[in-house]
Amino acid sequence: MAKHLLTTSVGSFPKPNKLLTARTQFRRGQISAEQLRESEEDATRQVINLQEALNLDIFVHGEMERGDMVAYFAEHWQGFSESLPVRSYGNRYYKKPIVENVVSLGDSVGLTVVSWEKASRLTSHPVKGMLTGPYTICDWSFNAYYPDRRSLVMDLAQLVHEEAVALEKAGAKYIQIDEPAISTRPDELDLAIEAMAIVTQGLQAKTISHICYGDFETILPGLYDLPVDQLDLEAANQHFALLDLLARYPWPKSKELALGVVDVHSHRIESVDEVKAGIRRALEIIPLDQLLIDPDCGLKTRTWDEAEQKLRVMMTAVEEIRDEDGLQ
Amino acid sequence: MVAGLRAPCPVLKRRQSSVIPACSGTEIMQDRRDTGKMKTTVMGSYPKIPAGPGPSVRSAIQRFEKGLLTPSQLFETYSQVIDRVLELANDTQLDRTTDGQIRWYDLFDPIVRDLDNVHSAGLIRLFDNNFYVRHPVITGRLQYQGGTLAAWCREAVSRSQVPIKVALPGLFTFLDLQEDTSYGDTDALIADLIDVMRLTVRHLVGTGVVEVQWDEPSLVRSSSWSRTQVRQAYEALIDPDLEIEQSIALYWGESSPWLDTLSQLPFSRISCDAVSDPHVLDVLATDKLDIAVGLGVIDARNVRMETPEHLARLLQPILRRQGHERTWIHPSCGLEFLPPDRAEQKVRLLRDTKFLINA
Repeated sequence: MAKHLLTTSVGSFPKPNKLLTARTQFRRGQISAEQLRESEEDATRQVINLQEALNLDIFVHGEMERGDMVAYFAEHWQGFSESLPVRSYGNRYYKKPIVENVVSLGDSVGLTVVSWEKASRLTSHPVKGMLTGPYTICDWSFNAYYPDRRSLVMDLAQLVHEEAVALEKAGAKYIQIDEPAISTRPDELDLAIEAMAIVTQGLQAKTISHICYGDFETILPGLYDLPVDQLDLEAANQHFALLDLLARYPWPKSKELALGVVDVHSHRIESVDEVKAGIRRALEIIPLDQLLIDPDCGLKTRTWDEAEQKLRVMMTAVEEIRDEDGLQ
Repeated sequence: MVAGLRAPCPVLKRRQSSVIPACSGTEIMQDRRDTGKMKTTVMGSYPKIPAGPGPSVRSAIQRFEKGLLTPSQLFETYSQVIDRVLELANDTQLDRTTDGQIRWYDLFDPIVRDLDNVHSAGLIRLFDNNFYVRHPVITGRLQYQGGTLAAWCREAVSRSQVPIKVALPGLFTFLDLQEDTSYGDTDALIADLIDVMRLTVRHLVGTGVVEVQWDEPSLVRSSSWSRTQVRQAYEALIDPDLEIEQSIALYWGESSPWLDTLSQLPFSRISCDAVSDPHVLDVLATDKLDIAVGLGVIDARNVRMETPEHLARLLQPILRRQGHERTWIHPSCGLEFLPPDRAEQKVRLLRDTKFLINA
């Protein structure tokens, strides 16, 4: 009997203080790249250990080597330069990439493979390969080179596809291509879908796309056509209002839903009961065998303690529902 | 989110019959730099971090959270950063400026602070930007308490050599992004929102602020609000007897369809985003409006630099039709979407373009 309500996490984890210190020291030239990598590996081990302890099903590696989900790729690929920081909210800033030339992988083919392999060696659980989608990389960069957004997105789709293929060749069974920007321009949904088709073409791994902080009303039911096996959507942030929206359109039989059940931008730790209530609402509209449970988004904006507590609440809620409903 | 008006609210009914001549209140205001030539302004926010060395809100907050700065030192850092914004405005001879919204967490911040029964809640994406704001949650009947916005405005005015304006969330942008857990009745909510916003403006009189700019990206991104709703709401909001200009700013969408309706309201200026909607340039080159026009011809969401010559060519037909004295230019929206070096360059571009055109 297959296990139900599989649990996972979206991607990033908070960087432990030791790693933050190491990153600062590296920027100042006080430690070597090798020493920084060792700190990243220690932090990754911490992330894996936490997921083991909490008994999650599908793991992430925590993205300890990444500062920002778009900038990380732009820093390594060709055609980008780096801007001074731009605020995204609160006191959070990122170095928004500037596209200044034709984008290419350069010598960074398989950029994400090494960190995936290292994390996978630490656990028997499957670890997701984590990529950022072409539409979001385009949308969260300044385009100072390409004549239009479409041509940039299409070039980026090829690069992300090559990265996905490299992850699959390395053994990744789950490949997540995050597209949080996809809901920002409903008139470009078709472009994002076309680009994702390029990314996922020919992949045998289960493909996932995480989307958050968007106006889903403007892109449903068209979003169901995104060529991935699983949509990973935030819901807790808006008190599960997403479910009312999803209820309007029959959930596609060919897709899974990973539902965000804890708010990653709030210090407040949710109660088990409220998380269970959200899952129960989801089960009214999503078939049990198509539903997975995770946080709303990457946990990197929380403290380590908050991230752990939120995941613990999530796992307790799932386990109680499994028990109550006689699920494995 | 809110539904449309079902029936005119009491405040709207009261104001509907009023005949308000365009600009009647704003004509009282005399711009200190009114030269009869094309003018320049910025839209709202400005980066809180420096392009080089200098005070930084970002690092000050980090140090404050680590206990390395006192509340007074953090407050002073904000003031220093505001000074930098205002010095740039003066240096580039802007005709009007904001304080860069340096103390603001987001566009809603001072409004939420000044109202009872509203608090800032979870982050939501601000339209199509990779920028997130805390959405206002209404938990009871709106009550105006005031204090914060007026204090921040007084600080800006006291430090600035350039006339200060303040950009606030427009009625419909506020309505679209808020979460109402109390009213359940859109008409009642709109009526109270108009009332508290009127109080907000009234309490800015005497602070030295010369203009309130209502930011309405919502209007140009969704068509859920009718022309009638918008007209009635702003007629009710704007008190033409107050000695403070009130303008409206449309950005991140097509402003041209709204020009006819909005130009008949007692705004002192309509600002349009000509980067998102280049068609508005054609419209304004043809149709003369009865009120001043602001043109967001400098892209505040892309680092690509325009040139004064290019902008001058773009603007000539509009200047001929609207008149230099009734035309303002500005970035397409707030400058916080740019890194600080480019934000500064784009403000300097305003000066260069103005000099080229007014020469």
